[in-house]
Amino acid sequence: MIFFAITLLVGAYALRIYKLAGQRQSKLFGISFLFISAAYFVQSILNFAASYSMAEECSMRSMTAVHSLSNFGIYSHMILFITGLVTLAYMTLKIKNINAYALFLAAILAVLLLSSNKLYFFYALSSILLIYISFYYLENYLKSRKMSTLIVFTAFLFLLFGKIHFIFSIDHGTFYVAGHLLEFVAYTLILINLIDVIRRK
Amino acid sequence: MSKKRDKLQIIYDILSVIKEKNGKIKPTNILYKSNLSNQMFNEYMGELIKKRFIIENKTKSGKVYSLTEKGFAYLNKYQMIVDFTGSFGLNE
Repeated sequence: MIFFAITLLVGAYALRIYKLAGQRQSKLFGISFLFISAAYFVQSILNFAASYSMAEECSMRSMTAVHSLSNFGIYSHMILFITGLVTLAYMTLKIKNINAYALFLAAILAVLLLSSNKLYFFYALSSILLIYISFYYLENYLKSRKMSTLIVFTAFLFLLFGKIHFIFSIDHGTFYVAGHLLEFVAYTLILINLIDVIRRK
Repeated sequence: MSKKRDKLQIIYDILSVIKEKNGKIKPTNILYKSNLSNQMFNEYMGELIKKRFIIENKTKSGKVYSLTEKGFAYLNKYQMIVDFTGSFGLNE
């Protein structure tokens, strides 16, 4: 729920900047964070439903319903999160071609949905996209040499490390916890940067 | 040599010039004060009208420009826009 709230805040703020400046990059950035936010919202609901079903004594029928809901939730989370990252990567390319975006998104979603191990491919594809996005933010920092750009670059680096940890978490539970902790640090840094921008106005 | 202006800075400069003489400024004055080439100037003015930052009025003595509410809001929030877009790498 924390990740959902932070990404929603950043997405909404980027769209506010778009409304003020009419800048296309802010619109794409805002949309990408809203997709990521929706992915975390779905995950929160999923976690809540799973903990509820474990706490209550459920019938076989309701257990099947929870299982179906769980599958739907996992797929929704993966599709929304990947769409968010693809939108963010498309924003960093600075090209104006909706067909290129559609092709980019369709190719990545096809790889994800047609793979035999969807969870593994989800973490692997997210990591590849985050490597590219992190390089973009490294360049952005090297151009400006400001603390705020360094914070954002570090945040995306932590997100990348988090996703890499999730790849290993499929076999080792400890990596799953480490992945969440790294993501928590990443979103905290993004929130710190956003608060700093708002306070400076 | 002065640093190259980015798009947000150029828009800020054009809107500031229009604000100084709001509703009375002619394109030649804006072109002169904004320090842009003729082609760039036309592109920016077209975009600013399209995005409703400014409005064009035709008078007997020619075209004049004035800021809209959105144009004033841009000038007021300019620093915040620059800080946000700069830190999140959203410069065009």
